[in-house]
Parts: sequence; C-alpha cells; structure tokens
Amino acid sequence: MPQRIQVDVKEIEAVLNEILSTKFPPVARCRLLSSGFSPGHALNITENIAGHKECIGCGNCIDICPALAREPHRRDKTEQRTSMALETLVGEDCDLCYACSLVCPQVDTTIKHYIVNCRLVEVMSRLAQRIGDDQEPDLDLFLEEAIDAY
Amino acid sequence: MIERYSVDFEIPEDLKMVQSLVRDFVHDQLRPLERDLLGRAAGLKDARAYLPPETDEKLMNMATDIGLWGLSVPEELGGMGLSTLGNCLAEEELAQTIVPFTFGDVTPILFECNAEQKDRYFLPHFHRRRQAYIALLEPQDGANLPAMQTMAVKVNGDYVISGRKMSFSRVGDDHFAIVFAATPGVGSGATCFLVEKGMPGFTVAGGEEGVGWRTQVKPALSLAFADCRVPAQSILGEPGAAFQLGKKWLPARRLVRGARCVGVGQRLLEEAKAHVESWQSYGEHLSRRPGIESALADIAVSIHACRLVVHEAAWKADSSMNIKREAAMVKLFATQMIRTVADRVSHVFNGPPYIQGLPLQRLCSDAVATNAVDLALELQSGIIAGDIMKGLKV
Repeated sequence: MPQRIQVDVKEIEAVLNEILSTKFPPVARCRLLSSGFSPGHALNITENIAGHKECIGCGNCIDICPALAREPHRRDKTEQRTSMALETLVGEDCDLCYACSLVCPQVDTTIKHYIVNCRLVEVMSRLAQRIGDDQEPDLDLFLEEAIDAY
Repeated sequence: MIERYSVDFEIPEDLKMVQSLVRDFVHDQLRPLERDLLGRAAGLKDARAYLPPETDEKLMNMATDIGLWGLSVPEELGGMGLSTLGNCLAEEELAQTIVPFTFGDVTPILFECNAEQKDRYFLPHFHRRRQAYIALLEPQDGANLPAMQTMAVKVNGDYVISGRKMSFSRVGDDHFAIVFAATPGVGSGATCFLVEKGMPGFTVAGGEEGVGWRTQVKPALSLAFADCRVPAQSILGEPGAAFQLGKKWLPARRLVRGARCVGVGQRLLEEAKAHVESWQSYGEHLSRRPGIESALADIAVSIHACRLVVHEAAWKADSSMNIKREAAMVKLFATQMIRTVADRVSHVFNGPPYIQGLPLQRLCSDAVATNAVDLALELQSGIIAGDIMKGLKV
C-alpha cells in the first residue's frame, strides 16, 4: 500500500516513459519509482518498513500477464510469484499491456493514472494489431454470401 | 490566388445510362409481377417466394438482350465487369421491387474457378442452367466457422468429405455444392470443394418452396456428406485456403448490400408517400400532420446519408483503395438505416410494416435478414473501433 504522498509523475515522466516503452515487464521498475510502503500497512511485523519498495510476492502480476496466460507452461520454470520471476519468465515477449503495473499493490496510484490516461490508448492499438491482423480473412463476408445466396 | 477544388458528386454518364436501364427494367418488367408473388387469392394462399421458371427465363433473355446480364461478373468470365459504383447503382434500383431477380449474380467465390471448373460449374451457373448451393453453415454450430465439423480427409490422392451442411440457395434440378470443409494441418485449415450432384455419399434434402404464409420463411437445404469421395481436381483455389477465395471482390459485395438497403428504403418511402397522399383524417390529408411529416423527413434523411456513405465507399473501391473500414461502416449504417426506416414507415402506416399482402413486409424482412445479425454488426464496430485506436481521424 503506497504512501499518502505519492511520487509526482512529472518528475519521473521521462524515465517512466522509457520504462513503459521498453519491451520488458515494467512492474518492478514502476514499483521502484513509487513511494514505497505506507506506515499504515497491514503486515504483522514490528519493523518499520515505511518507504520500503520490495516486492511482496502477491503474484498478481503473474496471474494477470497475458503472455503467461497464452503459454502457461512458462510458469513451470519457477514457483516464485514475484515481479522478478515475471521478468524472467516473460522477458522480451512482453505485450506491453501494463496490466502487471496496474495490479501491483506497491505501484503508486499516480503512476497507474498516468499509464491509464497517457499510455493505454497506444497500447490498445498495438494489441488490436495483434488481434485483428489486416491480412486475416473476414469470415463474416463468407457468411453474408451464404445467407444471401440466390 | 488560391485555386479552388470542388468535390464531384456527379455520377458518370455511362453509369447513369446503366442506372436508367435497370430502373426501366424494374418498373416495366418486375414490378407488374409483384402481385403474383404476394398472392391474389383470399388469405393469400397462392403467395410464392420465386417466379415460375419460364418467367425467370423470359426475364433473363430480356436482360441479356439489353446488355444487363452479368453486371457484377468480371469481363474475363463473360460478364459486364461493371465497377463497384455501377453495381451499387444497379442494385439500388433492383432492390426497389420484391421480385427475386438478379442480373446473373454469381458469388465471387466461384470467380476463382480454373479453366476446367469454369466450363463445368461457373458458366452453367452463370447462365442459370445449374444451381450452386453454398455449403458453409452447419446445423450444429451455425455461423461459428472456426468450429466447422465437416471434415475432408486425403485418401490416396482423393478427398473424403463427411459432415452435414445447410444452404439457403434456391433449389435447382441440376446443381452442385460449394463445400467448405476442415482439412486440419493444410494451410489455414479449411478447403473449398466443388461437389457434383449425384456424387456417391452426397444427398440433398428439404428446401421445398413455400407457398402462402410460408413464403416468409426462407427454407434451408440440408446437405449430407457421408464419406463422399471427390477428386483433388474438385478443390476450388488452393488446398487449405478456402477463406482466401474471392478476397478481391468480397469486400465490395458488402457495399452492394448497403446499396440494396438504400433501394429498399427508397421503395418504402415511395409506399409511405402513396399512403399519406391517399388517406385523410379529420378532413385533412395525412401528409399535413406534423408527426407524418417528421417520419417522412427522417426516412428521406436516413436514405440520403446512407446513399452518400455507399457511393463514397464505392468510389474508393473503384480507386483501388482498401475499403475494409468503409465496408464495415456501410454495413453498420445501412442496417441501422433500414431499421429506422422500417420503424418510421410503421408510424406512417399506423401499424407494423409486417402486413401480409403488402410489399412492405417482404421488403423489410429481406433487407433486415441480409445484413442484421447483431454479432456481425459488433464485428463491424470492432473493425471501425480498431482503426480509431490506430489513429483514424473521421
């Protein structure tokens, strides 16, 4: 759970854009750019971890990653559910959908807002290109021919 | 000085002539036959879906004599090779009647026939001596083409087809089937075959022409393939490339269907106008009532907007531009347009347009059935939205 005063994206915009444009799961680096644990965390420990930026291993990023969903056998390589494991398993096959950063509890909301408002529109067109390849035949045209046959 | 350019909305003279020829043909030859199709007897028991074969043949000869047969068929295949805009103009006129007649329309899937197949299948179908049954849909999964269950397995150089298909083509004594079957591991996984009537294992059932109220339902033919063995020469196009067939012509067909909606809308407007001119209430013509005026204006604006969308897309197609998005827009808009028009016409008639014995019913149901499958409309929305996400400015 990030701190109440979170990182100002304007200060990190250049490096954040660099991260978000690199074909590699961005969650860990987004986490490191964030403000870290809030003092009001719910972990049952006495140590003061306010401001710490470690991955808590919740596995949200592993669960939501579309690359791992397409090729689940990649998960067999490790039982770890950390952002580092995600980076190892996906690497440069990342779709840059940013879902991992959006579900990470350690990434600041300001960064998430920036991703949604400034980056996600671009991502959707890239994903749409992958889904709807112009060279793919339009099966609906054949259905129209079949239904409309004289 | 800044040079001024103007957008030219003028239809070329040669296409105007074709449009005028088709218009006259529809008015003089087809429209007088409408009453025969809609039925004259009490209860409309003698309503028919199709014209008798001898009338069909007479009309076909007439259309051939005036040079209208094969408007949409390429010149190298013996047709007129009319441009997309020309086809849209012709279809717009032809759609203004309920008489099921085409100027030698052939599915572009068959344009891919090789020389032998052209003589054996394409030309007889083009001259209406043989009927082509498009066997694409399946009774189990309907329109879910990737889940096609009809299989074709290669055995000693031949293919053995097994499965069931549905076809909405018109029944003909002499026929052949254009069969889409799954061929796993070959190309994209589906191959198209031309299967002759009477091949062992190939049977056709159903499709009886309905009379009376049954004309409202287009009968489906049931095609069964029980280990039907066909030679490899029966393959249309390349093995495993069934859905690559006719891709040069198929997107433009969507525009022609849009033009059909425009034609239907035009006829509905004509019917609505005749109705409001001939009816009075409280001593006043219906046409003077604000509600009716508003309905007529809505219809006219919708038709005009749709016609512009269709013509612009057709112009792009004729200029060899990619019209995938434009075709999607035409389909989406034309379908919505014909629904709006049918709705507004029902306001004018003070009741639903599905009144038996009037041309309205067939016009509306035929037009909506061709284009309006909600899932298909979602696909078109997806194509347009995809382009917007890629930076399309409209």
